[in-house]
Amino acid sequence: MSKPPTFAVLGLFDSADALLHAIPKVREGKLGRLETYTPYPIHGLDEALQLRRSPLAGMVVVMAFLGAIVALAMQGWMSAVDYPVITGGKAPFSWQAFVPIMFELMVLFATFTAGLGMLFLLNRLPFFGHPVLSSRAIQGITRDRFALSVEAEGGSLDPEAATALLSAAGAKDIEVLSLPARAEILDAAFILRALGGIVVACVVAGGLMFAAIKLFPLLPPMSHMQEQAKLNPYKPSHFFKDGHGMQSPVPGTVARGYLPMGPRTPEEANGLVNPLPRTRENLERGREAYTNRCAVCHGPLGDGVPALTAAYNAKPANLVSDEFRKAPDGRYYWAIVMGKNAMPSHAADMPEEDRWASIHYVRVLQRAQNAKDSDLEETKP
Amino acid sequence: MSLSAKRLWGVTLLGLLGILAVYFVAGPARFWLNWVLWFVFLLTLALGSMFMVALEHLVSSRWSVPIRRIPERLSTLLLPLVPVGMIALGAVPVLYPGARPEALANKLLAGKAFWLGLPFFSLRVALCFLAWLLALSVLVKGSLRQDESRDPQFNVRARRFAPLAMAFFGLGITAVAFDWISGLEPEWYSDIFGIYLFAGAFLSALSGTLLMVLHLQGRGRLPEVRRDHLYNLGGFIFAFTVFWAYIGFAQYMLMWYADLPEEVVWYQKRTQGGWLAVVILMGLLHFVIPFFALLTRDAKQAGRRLHWVAWSMLAAHMLDLYWLIFPVLMPNPVLSWPELSFALFFLGGAFLWVRRVRELGADLPVGDAFLKQGLEFRL
Amino acid sequence: MSDQLTLPEVLREPALTMGTVTPGSLDDQVLAFPERRPPLKWFVAIACTSLIAAIGMGFIGYTVATGIGVWGNNSPVFWAFDIINFVFWVGIGHAGTLISAILFIFRKRWRNAIARFAEAMTIFAVMCAGLFPLIHVGRPWLAFWLFPYPNQRALWTNFRSPLLWDVFAVSTYFAVSAMFWYLGLVPDIASLRDRTTCKWRKPIYTVLAVGWRGAGSHWQHYEKAYLLLAGLATGLVLSVHSVVSFDFATSLVPGWHMTIFPPYFVVGAIFAGFAMVVMVLIVVRESMDLQNLITDYHLEVMNKVILGMSCLMGYAYLMEGFTAWYSQNEYLHHTFINIISGTYGWAGWLTIACNVVIPQLLWFKRCRTSYFWMILVAVGVTVGMWFERFVIIVISLHQDYLPSAWRIYKPTLVDFGILFGSLGLFFTLVLIFARVLPVIATTEVKGILPGAQPEHHGGDHE
Repeated sequence: MSKPPTFAVLGLFDSADALLHAIPKVREGKLGRLETYTPYPIHGLDEALQLRRSPLAGMVVVMAFLGAIVALAMQGWMSAVDYPVITGGKAPFSWQAFVPIMFELMVLFATFTAGLGMLFLLNRLPFFGHPVLSSRAIQGITRDRFALSVEAEGGSLDPEAATALLSAAGAKDIEVLSLPARAEILDAAFILRALGGIVVACVVAGGLMFAAIKLFPLLPPMSHMQEQAKLNPYKPSHFFKDGHGMQSPVPGTVARGYLPMGPRTPEEANGLVNPLPRTRENLERGREAYTNRCAVCHGPLGDGVPALTAAYNAKPANLVSDEFRKAPDGRYYWAIVMGKNAMPSHAADMPEEDRWASIHYVRVLQRAQNAKDSDLEETKP
Repeated sequence: MSLSAKRLWGVTLLGLLGILAVYFVAGPARFWLNWVLWFVFLLTLALGSMFMVALEHLVSSRWSVPIRRIPERLSTLLLPLVPVGMIALGAVPVLYPGARPEALANKLLAGKAFWLGLPFFSLRVALCFLAWLLALSVLVKGSLRQDESRDPQFNVRARRFAPLAMAFFGLGITAVAFDWISGLEPEWYSDIFGIYLFAGAFLSALSGTLLMVLHLQGRGRLPEVRRDHLYNLGGFIFAFTVFWAYIGFAQYMLMWYADLPEEVVWYQKRTQGGWLAVVILMGLLHFVIPFFALLTRDAKQAGRRLHWVAWSMLAAHMLDLYWLIFPVLMPNPVLSWPELSFALFFLGGAFLWVRRVRELGADLPVGDAFLKQGLEFRL
Repeated sequence: MSDQLTLPEVLREPALTMGTVTPGSLDDQVLAFPERRPPLKWFVAIACTSLIAAIGMGFIGYTVATGIGVWGNNSPVFWAFDIINFVFWVGIGHAGTLISAILFIFRKRWRNAIARFAEAMTIFAVMCAGLFPLIHVGRPWLAFWLFPYPNQRALWTNFRSPLLWDVFAVSTYFAVSAMFWYLGLVPDIASLRDRTTCKWRKPIYTVLAVGWRGAGSHWQHYEKAYLLLAGLATGLVLSVHSVVSFDFATSLVPGWHMTIFPPYFVVGAIFAGFAMVVMVLIVVRESMDLQNLITDYHLEVMNKVILGMSCLMGYAYLMEGFTAWYSQNEYLHHTFINIISGTYGWAGWLTIACNVVIPQLLWFKRCRTSYFWMILVAVGVTVGMWFERFVIIVISLHQDYLPSAWRIYKPTLVDFGILFGSLGLFFTLVLIFARVLPVIATTEVKGILPGAQPEHHGGDHE
């Protein structure tokens, strides 16, 4: 069995000075790539290791700019394009008001780029498999010792040569790190288990979300808007003895518009007299009431020829016929309040005065349809 | 930039003739408007420099010791500004409505007419100058004396005096802002205005200091001042450009938001006609361009970049004051022979003074015990 | 620095650490705390603070279940303890960011020993702050409506409202502070990972340290990220509390619409925050024996900052008072008369006394270096700054334009309970942090110890 290939040889130093002085000496040996491991950043190390400039600043500037643009575009679109509303007297696209959020989002984008870009992209962390992490030296490295490592650069590294070079440069401790045996983690069983786990996690999460969204609003205090301490006709109520929310009206309750009138039969109603004087005002009121409530069936001329005849099977009465000219006012009143055949009761939407006024107007229509020559004479006002 | 003393005198005298002509030909209002503009510009530059010196003593900053002599020299501009300020008082009855007799009839001004009137105004100006000259005497004269005496007690005294100097500066710059600038429209008020002027003053002092350092280095002087020191100056300019923009935007946005007639009218005057172009130009010159120009670490220490940024910052400060002051009388920006005459006079005079104090004391505060530390400063 | 000895004492540079501190001894001193069992006094302390926090949570639960009516808020004082506490806590957070970010930019090395703790306090303060806008909306379970997400109602949030700018500003502040804090912690957690022998702690530290190994190429990017984050966080210090001040300054309420509010609030935040940091650091320093790392110099410098901020607050009060007169606006005038002589005039005077007068004691070196005076001033400042927000909010609201709407505001027990509960929560989090994570950024302090950096790159960095 051959020894695992050498990944790196670490030389430990006791001070930052010693480390910095050692670097050029070790570089001369040209044995491999140089890397240092230190407990804190050392000034001058970047130059000694000949590191290229970090691109992080450029990345952050670009993302910051993007953040500001995204904020402006988002606010502008939402406030001025998709659903423009004027609030507080300010125009939908008020750039002055957009500036604070533009600034914050710029900072947010920049921050995540700096932090996560540094960790994930540039440093390729998290990564737990690096040989240094399982070395003896790591304890000293994160405490108070400074390590210089010669790493194998494509191919192999001669551990003895590297050890000698590091000793000559002043290293106190030398450690040889080998590449760990690469366990095949991506085998079929693992992949299946991983996929299965993901599916189960999704199903469970989905179920929980569903339950939460459906159940959550039903819990108090979220339900307080729905479950209010007031009388609900469709729910039981402790307030009433019979436990019902919906109660019948008290006996003797009069429905709106249904104040009892004197007559109890049509015959008795025929005796009613129109209490409204026949003034111009009342006639105009009558015209309005008739037009709104009666003309739809009885026609604008009162002759039972409305615009809607074709839609109905019923035949509205011809109010200007002889029969109705001779009928007393009370007959009309009874029909309005109680309804007649297909005609429903109009008691609810015609107040008392409207009913009598419309009857006056019907009389006007009757006279107009049956005019005589003598009607053309000037009447005294 | 090497202008011989003779040329500068020539320019100044030509300017003087011009400004006298302005008074009699273009009218007293135009004359006083320009006089106040230049007075405030040079005053803010001088006060900003004094603030820089006091700040350095207050926080005992070491990196700035090598360059401290420069703002000390610039702050001596306060001396010739005393007669300029006294003359400027002539503007009060002409340009400042609060000081005129009609103010008593105005409901909004009657209650503070005594404050705005010439007597109290002059008293405030006098008190301010007394305080500033006291500060100058303690901080600048003491520093110059230390060149010979090498006495560390000066640092102790300066550090103890620095808070008082800060108070003189803070209250003084607020008085300048309220009296000389917002007093032109006494019905308007904004309590951030003093801080706004402070931002401009500090920026112009930083720019002036930078320009003087670069100028001296161009003549082989101040070789010990390194890129590291320039970086800090550049960094301060970068930071305070942002600060100025923040203060300016805060005032504007709050007044835009509440939309109160008594506040908005001030901005309306300054965005009508050609003034809108001026304010956009100012925003670019004072904030956008310096911000991007000084964004990178390298840019903040590069001599050439810093040079033109500093000049444009001084121009931007002038533009800022122009935009604050001129719309009171001018519905559109004006740039004609009156303005040019005043520029020649005041720039000539200022350069003459600066040229003279360029030789005041040693270039480095050689008597300061922390000079060595300051010279060893590295980023 | 042999010339130091010839300088007058007041000009000499104090050492940032006392006695001999080496990277190893630093680790042993500071990292031992997360590894050891806490002493009895810690358990007693956390029991007290948790109890107070729990009571506060109880009151919050009561408020959420019953409604905002259990608070004292009513017409016309619609904002009271809820917003006072919010602004108070956000303000306290700013000191941490200033110490860790702004002082980093200025390369003030003394910040290294206290930055970690201060940043942690920022995060906890912002968490306490976030509690209040959440519960004051009445139906906190609908708080997600504050974010612009596509919804069935086809509505978007009102971007023209400073209350919404607040949502973005405080969220960003929390995210950035957390990121900055975590990144600073990574190398320290790596130290913990490599020291610990405890079976269950090692995997946790391993995961949290994300495999950090101190590689030179990594440090390069790390330092760049840290510098950039410090710069970004600096911008936040100014902007977040300015956006909070916009909640008031954009309105028309007399006494609120003052253009100086943005910088005034920022200064006030730094002021209150530093006072809290001083108080907590004294406790930490004494109870964890860290006097050699958190030296008298640290405390003195922080007290000087408090003094400076107090003077700036004095300037701001002066400007407000002057403007109240200068504006010749009768409503503004009336509000300011109220501040000094109205029903709540006692609060106005308390504010001025605690914020401007008492801190002047710090001019005296004895007060800057004595625990008694320091704590007196710091407590005064904390109380004073809470009352300052009370003065701004309650006095302006209780008597504004329409006399028929003038009312007296009375806080309820629930209001007080939630305030003290939030204090309990804050200190509970601080206590937990002190025993779970390193309270001093050992990596940063190692970098500034004498001899830490190579000789030829020497010279001062101040």
